[in-house]
Amino acid sequence: MSAAGSRGALSALKGVGGRLLSALPALFGVLALTFILMRVLPGDPASFFVSSPTAGEAELEIVRQRMGLDHPLPMQFLYYLRDLATGDFGTAMTTGRPVVDDLVERLPASLELTLAGLFLAVAIAVPAGVLAALRPGSVFDHGVRVICSAGVSLPTFVSGLLLIYIFYYWLGWAPDPTGRLDIFAFPPETVTGFLLIDCLLAGDWDTWWSSLSRLVLPACTMALFTIAPLARITRGSMLAVLTSEFVRTADAVGLPRWKVIVTYALRNALIPVVTVSGSIFSTMLGANVLVEKVFSWPGVGRYALDALMASDYAPVQGFVLLMATIFVFVNLVVDLLYAVIDPRVSLS
Amino acid sequence: MTEFNRRQVLMAAAAATAAASLPKFALAQSREETLRFVHGSVWTALTAGDLTGSRASLALSCNVYDRLVRFGRKEAPGGGFEFDFDVIEPELCESFSISDDGLVLTFTLDPAAKWHDGSPVTAEDVKWSLDRAVSAETMSKSQLASGSITSPDQIAVVDETTVTVTLPQADRLALPNLAMYLAPMINSTLAKANATEADPWAIEWLRTNAAASGAYTVERMSPDGAQVVLARNEAWTGGPLPGFARVIVQGVPEASTRATLLQKGDADLCLDFSPTDLEVLEAADGVKVIQTPQPSGFAALVFNTQMAPFDDPKLRKAISMALPYEQIFETAANGQGLKLYDGTWEGEPETGVFPQPMPYTVDIEAAKAMVEEAGHAGLTVPLYYTVGKAGDFDPAAALIQEALAKIGITVEIQKTPDAQYAEIVTAKTAPMLLERSLALLPSPDYFFRIFLNGDSRWNFSSWANPEVAEILPVARYEADAAEYEKMTKKLVSLAFEETPMVMLWKPTTKAAMAEGVTGYTMWYHFGPDFRTLDRA
Repeated sequence: MSAAGSRGALSALKGVGGRLLSALPALFGVLALTFILMRVLPGDPASFFVSSPTAGEAELEIVRQRMGLDHPLPMQFLYYLRDLATGDFGTAMTTGRPVVDDLVERLPASLELTLAGLFLAVAIAVPAGVLAALRPGSVFDHGVRVICSAGVSLPTFVSGLLLIYIFYYWLGWAPDPTGRLDIFAFPPETVTGFLLIDCLLAGDWDTWWSSLSRLVLPACTMALFTIAPLARITRGSMLAVLTSEFVRTADAVGLPRWKVIVTYALRNALIPVVTVSGSIFSTMLGANVLVEKVFSWPGVGRYALDALMASDYAPVQGFVLLMATIFVFVNLVVDLLYAVIDPRVSLS
Repeated sequence: MTEFNRRQVLMAAAAATAAASLPKFALAQSREETLRFVHGSVWTALTAGDLTGSRASLALSCNVYDRLVRFGRKEAPGGGFEFDFDVIEPELCESFSISDDGLVLTFTLDPAAKWHDGSPVTAEDVKWSLDRAVSAETMSKSQLASGSITSPDQIAVVDETTVTVTLPQADRLALPNLAMYLAPMINSTLAKANATEADPWAIEWLRTNAAASGAYTVERMSPDGAQVVLARNEAWTGGPLPGFARVIVQGVPEASTRATLLQKGDADLCLDFSPTDLEVLEAADGVKVIQTPQPSGFAALVFNTQMAPFDDPKLRKAISMALPYEQIFETAANGQGLKLYDGTWEGEPETGVFPQPMPYTVDIEAAKAMVEEAGHAGLTVPLYYTVGKAGDFDPAAALIQEALAKIGITVEIQKTPDAQYAEIVTAKTAPMLLERSLALLPSPDYFFRIFLNGDSRWNFSSWANPEVAEILPVARYEADAAEYEKMTKKLVSLAFEETPMVMLWKPTTKAAMAEGVTGYTMWYHFGPDFRTLDRA
């Protein structure tokens, strides 16, 4: 029994390792493509950064040297690879700091927001989808459809501004939308970078509450946008499962209705939902730029966008590489989850 | 036993909710004494001049650093104050004098002046700071050079409290340059202690640390520069103590969020709100908006004078006769600012001030005839401007497109992302631009030197007029005011005759603040200076 168990664990580990290895060429491709794209795009970073009216060619040259733009392109790429191998992602001109530091500091902010948004969305969308599937064509079903259409068709910055207007400006319930913490709150010691967790570790309830109250509106904005696909997928998948033979059999043998729905139908219906959640998570993480901007959220999306507008190469390359890596990991986690939900699925 | 009625219960519940949503943070100063400034940028370099610092950093650094001298201020037409280029007063120094021949500037230090760490300000510190400004790879170097200060040899310590700056020739811009943010006074002992062999002027260290003597000290700064808290330096000797004990500088990237914060009373000052929020803020209770015309600012339609077809002055002139100036001013500038197109002079202007209203005459038929005569009928030409200035230039470009169609010129509008636009302007490949800019110093010869002469990117029109090139070096060092005026008048009339750019309007600086905030001053940098502000 134990031998069989460890053999199973070993093959699972092998599967994970294999998956990670096979992702390497894809990552390299992303890296090379971003590198070339950034340099092919029009815009001279040096003339953008040196904007003093009296600055001349000499200042431009200094900035070009500092950005490594004075070498031929292939050499620049080789230098870039060499630096990457030592964990050096370059220095961001927009902040004057190493890109790694910037990303490490900002990624938890984006992750916290995305996870909170996704959690909210799943918590609302899955029950709503299930209920809609149980009574297709009912008033509730149509209600869910209307809300989903509204949520998905409102751009996130519009719904974000709307929420700010209602809950901050008009009702005064929400704190001012200026980032993760009240300016007067002292941030807890950074352990995970997730403020909610770090505050708990530090036992600082006031700050925990402050960061939670600031997380609510942006998380709701993100959730509004993602409830739609999740609820629709849940409903569709649930409808298919409910008409399948094993559910009819379960009903026929007289199992309690809730047990049929939750244990047999829902579990089987969840697989596409998990798949979609995985890709939604990755998309949310990279694409929540607008939410981050509206709520002054110090996340990676905004960082990359600002860098892109300034033709600041290093942060954009670092960001894309980070996102690609996260994508690989999320897909892996999704596959592992399949195995948990449905034992017939295995990694290999 | 106490009886509750419904109203009391509801009020208690409301109070509990309010209390719960406001965590009890230790507030050292009350809200009254705190100024919260919101802007769309971040403060990335504490010490001015850093080549990688954000633009916003430059003006913000004035609140932390002192200069030897500063500009005075006078009441401005739109309410509030504006800086006075003609008045220079001591800031860190106690007094200063200029020798009769204009060659030696002498600064006497205030023995009571202290750095933030409590050590006294010495003549050695001043010399080191100016040496750094002319030697280190920062923006200061070229700025000070524009006032003939280029070498450490020019800066001498006479005794413990006296420093002199010697100029190779009298230069009207030497002293104003020392009053500007690119000549900050730095605690040399502290800076040197943090310098490295590769970085002898401590540029890296001074990016995130201040070695200063100014009115505010940096209490806290987030690594990305989005949140900075300043505390008043109670020992400041550079001027009257500021009204606000604490200043919060916060980066809020979304313009409409900044406007909402102001309306709600959570922010006290904002200088970069969007034009669409202007009306809302002006109408809002508890918020006031002050508009001040920028002395040396301009918005203009710029021609590339070195490239066909605009190397033909006739074509440039024709276009200047066909533009709907009034409509552009009303829609693109919202009728705010000063008109730069309704001058009435002929031949020579009444003053040498520039930018000033140019006497363009609108005559569509004559313009059309001129275009045809010069053989440009049926011309198609792109018009570039940057996304960052699209608020003003979208309507302006559309109006220009419509107007030029009437004289047989087709305009293709090219709205271009900022970095790409910067590259086009530097390479000088665009035939026609809409541009808005300003010279830091409102001195006509300085304006011409930057915007209408030489081969820097700021000479948007690439105009190379031999007469202008001849006058400029003379005007710069001309000590006699009447002679200087004569030369600048000539410059202005040349710019009118040759039309390297069509002047449209002089933009205003718009500042929105809480009703009670007093003492707002528009400085040469158009950024925030918290030192003169107070709450009534």
